[in-house]
Amino acid sequence: MDGQALRPTASWENGTLAPVDRLRAERADSPTPGLVEGTEPGAGQKSAMFVHAQSFEDLTAEAEEEARRDDELDKSGECAEELKVLVGEKTIEEQRNNSISSESRSKEEDVSSEAWRSHRKHVFVLSEAGKPIYTRYGTEEALSSTMGVMMALVSFVEAEKNIIRSIHADGCKVVFLTKSPLVLVGVSRTCQSDKELLRELQYIYYQIVSLLTLTQLNHIFQHKQNYDLRRLLAGSEYLTDNLLHRLDRDPGLLLSAVTCLPLASSARDVVSSSLQAAKAKNLVFSILLAGDRLVTLVRKKDQFLHHIDLHLVFNLVGSSSSFREGEGWTPICLPKFNTAGFFHAHISYLEPASELCLILVSTDREDFFNMSDCKQRFLERLSKRSAYQALKEALKCPTYSVAQVGIPELRHFLYKSKSSGLYTSPEFPEVYHSDEEQERLMGLYQDLHSCLHHPTRPLRSFYRCSETENLLAWVTSGFELYLCFSPLGTKALAVSAVNKLLKWIRKEEDRLFILSPLTY
Amino acid sequence: MSAMRVDAKVVMLGKESVGKTSLVERYVHHRFLVGPYQNTIGAAFVAKPIQVGEKVITLGIWDTAGSERYEAMSRIYYRGARAAIVCYDLTDSSSFQRARFWVKELQNCEEHCKIYLCGTKNDLIEGDRSLRQIDYHDAQDFAEEIGAQHFETSSKTGNNVDELFQKVAEDYNNTAFQYMTAEETGIDLGQKKDSYFYSCCHNN
Ligand SMILES: Nc1nc2c(ncn2[C@@H]2O[C@H](COP(=O)(O)OP(=O)(O)OP(=O)(O)O)[C@@H](O)[C@H]2O)c(=O)[nH]1
Ligand SMILES: [Mg+2]
Repeated sequence: MDGQALRPTASWENGTLAPVDRLRAERADSPTPGLVEGTEPGAGQKSAMFVHAQSFEDLTAEAEEEARRDDELDKSGECAEELKVLVGEKTIEEQRNNSISSESRSKEEDVSSEAWRSHRKHVFVLSEAGKPIYTRYGTEEALSSTMGVMMALVSFVEAEKNIIRSIHADGCKVVFLTKSPLVLVGVSRTCQSDKELLRELQYIYYQIVSLLTLTQLNHIFQHKQNYDLRRLLAGSEYLTDNLLHRLDRDPGLLLSAVTCLPLASSARDVVSSSLQAAKAKNLVFSILLAGDRLVTLVRKKDQFLHHIDLHLVFNLVGSSSSFREGEGWTPICLPKFNTAGFFHAHISYLEPASELCLILVSTDREDFFNMSDCKQRFLERLSKRSAYQALKEALKCPTYSVAQVGIPELRHFLYKSKSSGLYTSPEFPEVYHSDEEQERLMGLYQDLHSCLHHPTRPLRSFYRCSETENLLAWVTSGFELYLCFSPLGTKALAVSAVNKLLKWIRKEEDRLFILSPLTY
Repeated sequence: MSAMRVDAKVVMLGKESVGKTSLVERYVHHRFLVGPYQNTIGAAFVAKPIQVGEKVITLGIWDTAGSERYEAMSRIYYRGARAAIVCYDLTDSSSFQRARFWVKELQNCEEHCKIYLCGTKNDLIEGDRSLRQIDYHDAQDFAEEIGAQHFETSSKTGNNVDELFQKVAEDYNNTAFQYMTAEETGIDLGQKKDSYFYSCCHNN
């Protein structure tokens, strides 16, 4: 693993941050306990809504295990050599399928151009036979020989009883994820660790599975090894494009958590119980979204949704205006729940121009009118109990300003309650208004996240100064916290801010989190 | 709008991007959305009341996704349909092949479903005749052969769109008038016991 590349010129300190113990002592009689999982601010009162996952570790464990079994391949120079040889030979011929028109894709781009090469992060998906399935930039056709090379590389190393995990060359990192029958390749110029890149590839893998199910994927490729999967994925590329965009920008994907629409708990409880009452035999999950924020989630007793599956649903709904046309009814596989089969989702907005989108997930594909009926019952109950108005009011301020916390040097933060799988974060302040600045800040958080979750040397806390901002990250068994301060702040200040912030979150928790999730 | 009544199930079928969603948008919302094409995911349902003579008939329109990915699912969308609008793009001959596929499928599985063959994007042809890939008469011959109505429409200009759906509703009204007995037609979606699919199978 490469730790060095991660850390640019910024001065930083690590190791135990002294105040941890001091905080713990204070917490005993402070209103902000929370070093114990389940008592941190934002922890649900009864049961969690999500599958209980050791979040990040859970996600990458699989890939790591695979890698651990085999010798680490540390011969990057040799590999690059190999790559050159293979390019010359062009081992795998391209085979076009005329029925696929890629003209409609707006990402037409000359793959030999400098612009194409200079993208920060490329992602490729191919079949084990080396057939192109997806590329983030450019078209798959134009890249089929490149993909062939990648595949040859993968199988060459596999034949030697090794598995390629990554190749580092020329400021560029190439990461491989083999998930039979698919092979995913990430090529990155960012300073993300291999582990982070693998995590992103996993998401892309799950995105594809959610459209087809793993059973169907396996079946197809057992049947016909060199099947062109783009036939079946036609028209879904933008879902993957959007997911990649979210991976760069959405803290929820980084934290393995979901954020909520700030809403008075009394109003949220009415919404939840109205959804709870609108149940049906085959209904498994009822999810109400406001844009990218969860309003509430009601689930069948004993059935849990995994945050990855929920993010896939968010991505599906958020990427498509198609559900605005009427009531949508679509098969969807929730791969963390079950890779073998489809659920059927009734997806509709509460009003044509509303942000509020209701998703009712059923096990029965003939359930459309039952779900439509559930929605009607939900709406009736909601307006009868006049919660709809409160909800619409809340939509007007879906975010909050960091100024509310009352710590002048604090610019931004991410706080995740581990037991509820929910996080909260204020809107970006003025200094991070541009897209580039926001992505840069997300990049910094990603770095911190990598350090806290380092596979061999994980840190409990981490303070880092740079010319543009000071950052503090802290993980306990109850929460994960990332803070961004103005560069004028000091470490002592940062440390005292943590306490103040935790108190504030505790005070606001019933508005910012879902404390009493319901089941039916 | 609590309980919604649907009299006739209508399904839109055809290759991806032939313009099924645009057709429904034009008919239901009287608009044509420009901007990047958004393929339908799964299917979308919308109920639309339409005046036929003295009566109001509510069409329950299923706008299906053209992507092959959903082909296995298509049965649930066309089962029990009284009308199928099978679309092809006048400027894309491969879409006509796909239309033939859907016609065959309907003939095999849904014999009571009336077929409406619809050539879309007529406005493109008006602009440039050389774009036409499906001859009007060839399509007309095919329609006659299968006993279907034939339309050429444009969702962009609205040309022939209302006429198409009006015809669907009138045909439904006529056959309903012929075949329906004492049983009042229509399915109350707010009703719990009587599931929609059950009623459909009954009607056929
Ligand atoms: N010029 C013109 N363009 C049209 C017309 N109808 C549809 N289009 C365009 O064709 C593209 C596809 O239209 P859709 O209505 O989304 O196609 P669809 O059949 O619903 O596609 P799927 O949902 O993928 O099955 C869009 O870019 C539309 O703008 C038309 O009448 N004239
Ligand atoms: Mg469509």
